[in-house]
Amino acid sequence: MITELGAFALVLSLMLSVAQTGLSAVGGARRSPVLAGAGRGAAVAAFVAVAVAFAALIHAFVVSDFSVANVAGNSHTAKPMLYKVAGAWGSHEGSMLLWCLVLTGYGAAMAAFGESLPPRLRAYALAVQGALGVLFLAYAVFASNPLARLLEVPVEGRSLNPLLQDPALAAHPPFLYSGYVGFSVVYSLSLAALIEGRVDAAWARWVRPWTLAAWSLLTVGITLGAFWAYYELGWGGWWFWDPVENASFMPWLIGAALLHSAIVTEKRGALPGWTAFLALAAFTFSMLGAFLVRSGVLTSVHAFAVDPTRGVLLLIMMGLAAGAGFLLFAIRAPSLNPGGQFRAVSRESAIVLNNILLSTATAVVLLGTLYPLIREAMDGEAVSVGAPFFNLTFTPLMVLAFAILPTGPLLAWKRGDARGVARKLWVVLAVAALLGLIAYGIVQPRKALASGGLALGFWLLGGALLEMADRLKLFRAPAAESVRRARGLPRGAWGATLAHAGLGVFVLGASFETAWRVEAAQALSLNDSQTLGAYVLTLTDIGTVEGPNYLAERGVVRIVDKAGRLICRAEPERRFYPTGAQTTSEVAICPRLLDDLYVVLGERRAGEGGKPAWLVRAYVNPWVRLIFLGPLLMAIGGAISLSDRRVRLGVGRRAREVVS
Amino acid sequence: MIAFWIAATGLSAVTAGLVLRGAAKARPVDDADTRLEPHRRRLAEVERLALDGLLSQDELKAARAEAGRGLLAAADQAEHWTRDGAGPRKAVVATVGAACVAAVGLYLFVGHPELPDQAFAKRVAEWKAADPATLAPDQIAAVLESVVASQPKAIEPLVFLAKARVASGDLPGAEAALRRAVRLAPKRADLWSLLGQTFVMESAQKGDGGQVGPDAKLAFTQALKADPNDLRARYFLGRGKVADGDVQGGLADWRALLASLPPDNPARATLAAEIAQVETQGRLASAEPAAAQNPQVQGMIAGMVEGLAARLAQSPDDPDGWVRLVRAYAVLGEIAKRDAALASASARFKDQPKVLSALRQAADTPAQANVKTP
Repeated sequence: MITELGAFALVLSLMLSVAQTGLSAVGGARRSPVLAGAGRGAAVAAFVAVAVAFAALIHAFVVSDFSVANVAGNSHTAKPMLYKVAGAWGSHEGSMLLWCLVLTGYGAAMAAFGESLPPRLRAYALAVQGALGVLFLAYAVFASNPLARLLEVPVEGRSLNPLLQDPALAAHPPFLYSGYVGFSVVYSLSLAALIEGRVDAAWARWVRPWTLAAWSLLTVGITLGAFWAYYELGWGGWWFWDPVENASFMPWLIGAALLHSAIVTEKRGALPGWTAFLALAAFTFSMLGAFLVRSGVLTSVHAFAVDPTRGVLLLIMMGLAAGAGFLLFAIRAPSLNPGGQFRAVSRESAIVLNNILLSTATAVVLLGTLYPLIREAMDGEAVSVGAPFFNLTFTPLMVLAFAILPTGPLLAWKRGDARGVARKLWVVLAVAALLGLIAYGIVQPRKALASGGLALGFWLLGGALLEMADRLKLFRAPAAESVRRARGLPRGAWGATLAHAGLGVFVLGASFETAWRVEAAQALSLNDSQTLGAYVLTLTDIGTVEGPNYLAERGVVRIVDKAGRLICRAEPERRFYPTGAQTTSEVAICPRLLDDLYVVLGERRAGEGGKPAWLVRAYVNPWVRLIFLGPLLMAIGGAISLSDRRVRLGVGRRAREVVS
Repeated sequence: MIAFWIAATGLSAVTAGLVLRGAAKARPVDDADTRLEPHRRRLAEVERLALDGLLSQDELKAARAEAGRGLLAAADQAEHWTRDGAGPRKAVVATVGAACVAAVGLYLFVGHPELPDQAFAKRVAEWKAADPATLAPDQIAAVLESVVASQPKAIEPLVFLAKARVASGDLPGAEAALRRAVRLAPKRADLWSLLGQTFVMESAQKGDGGQVGPDAKLAFTQALKADPNDLRARYFLGRGKVADGDVQGGLADWRALLASLPPDNPARATLAAEIAQVETQGRLASAEPAAAQNPQVQGMIAGMVEGLAARLAQSPDDPDGWVRLVRAYAVLGEIAKRDAALASASARFKDQPKVLSALRQAADTPAQANVKTP
């Protein structure tokens, strides 16, 4: 009964989304409080119905109800409970239901907490959000039903891909989708404003919290994915410029550009058209991400639940949503007020430059991601685009963006003082350059570009700290005054500083880890040793371990430093999952402050004298922890900004009720 | 099914209530405040920045003017939404009603209200209560898993579980069960030799030719330590020697084994034939060890399938049973029997397209190489 109730709830949510679209659109057009109110109610009701469907799906996974095709295809009775639950969004069907849940959830949030929005803008935005719900829920009901039943029920399920049976990946999709779909609200608000013809400072103020929420969640989602790739795929890296990684990175870049341009529009009324364009683009790139991940058009290490046939449907849906948005934009853009004027040296100009660089970088990532498809369509040749392309194209753009970043917050709006900013920043510049030179001098082997990367990281970090010190008049005013200023400083300012500092932390980690990673691989029999940089690794034992749904060979690798001191006992595993007959590597990581010692156990082979040997690959990943700490700081910065009274959802005086 | 419709009606009522509540709470609004608020805040922020000394007098003047212009423009855009008449309220009720009715209609098209939930624990309880002869090997394995879970220290359920898993083609599962068994009773030779044989069968399943690999040798050696006369271990270790090139050593082991078998042991003839073949060719003829075709397991499968066929002959009105029978024959490679069962069932259920579809799907199940009838 529960499964079928879920199936009914899914259908009901589709119909409620249709009602939401119609009631909100007509309510907005006729200025009818009753119809618009009913539209808001329908948005909440659609979310409740999808939540019931989602709960029913999770229940089916938890009790291993293999009469549900999705459960039979993606679960197994021996699977640990966490992954039974996570299996609900590990499949194509389940992940699209999660998408619908988040989509309707944002709609319900806008209906319930969007009281600071003008009623017509809210009604139109809910109509657009409802229309998106209709598209995706219709897809879930007719083409990708997660609660479809099997007439002949198998005894056991086929289980979830073992690579997905991981805590980070259990949490990764909900965060990623919350970020992707969060941009749907921004899209809806943008389309609603274009329908109204009012894209102005007030609109930008309403768009900002949703953008902040979506961007912060997407940051967490991408970081979790990178962290998972780092320790689960067993190749020691954290970013591969894989199409699916790029698919999540593009909306993130556009979201970052939107965050900044929305500030310009809010503070100065400038760039309204550009901000509206970015709002449409952010969700379009999110849909492109879903399409790339789920269609299987591009080969990826991250694409698990692919279906080319349904991928075409997703492409059509993306075409409909993006096409409608950009068509309306093309019609309305010429009539939008260009807004406030500003000088070439001003905070607005710095943000415009930042936007140009971020947008160009997004275009470069898009080109690199889709080029294999374009090439295959043109001459049938299969090519892959990897790190060398992005290092040559994307990295210089980002270096330029990072170089100007610390200047932006120090410039005044409208007309900035370049000399004043230079006077403030020269110390940071000198210290960053000096630290880069020191790194070049003492870290072996010497690497000029990587040392430059470190200098850039210190520049970003120092710039963020200096900007905060400047706001607090630290060391320029009495301590009490600085404390008073710190207390009075809006949370948004703290959030921005933390996010910019987080970026610096990330650049430090990425530069150091990429340049000075040490790698060693050798087939080791028991008690054989290999050298890894300043460490010696000895394979001291191999045993068999039986997990809940796998059998594993577990190696014990003793790691000592050159002085013979024990650093750690790493226990990497090579797991075999009988269901699906898949083998995975379970990496052993020994954290060393900012570094990781990373050990992977390979397959057994014949060693010297016929003795069994195991390929042991090991890495020293210096400063790798900063790579994950940096984005975390950025996301926390976003969350702090979101808690700012000026930005927070629902804050602001409600529309005055008039009794007539 | 009644419970489902009650729940579906309840859900529809709750969601309809949310829509109607939204309409009922609606009041006429003047949106001037919401339109003006951001500009008021901007103006206040400008004043605060000026107080903090972050804006010069000129900048303050310009910022004030700009915020003021925004305020005036927003005031011009303010809208007043008046109270609705009865029309919109009727429209809301009609829309909600239509949405619920349409949902029921669409659900009847895509859903299966007649199908109950089939939680795994409930199904296992049903299989436990059923006649074992009517169960497929994987169903028996599922029942035995629950027995093993309730008696974690008992050896025999683990052995039966391993055998049932072998019969259902789940060799890694059988290996896992036997590993647990030898951990519990490390001195039982039969458990070690069964584990060794499972390794050999896994090698055959992987397409490695049923090798007696290092794991299997270790298991058989443990078996012989516990019981030097363990027949299975002696056979496979001899086979391993032949495969590794020590043909004379292997043959010597096999001849000793043959001599120790009682005259009425049915395995004598097979072993003698294998010895003769190796003597003639100097190597193993078949990658598949004769003993891997476990007569006990195959007999179990065949017995179960024939039991199911007999039951269906007596009570043919069981579509699930027919689907299972057709699939079992397909797995066993019994093409003629599969086609006959498919024809009988298709004729019987010709008016039930879902059953026909399931039957065709079952008939297409590929045969498993390691499961053959004797």
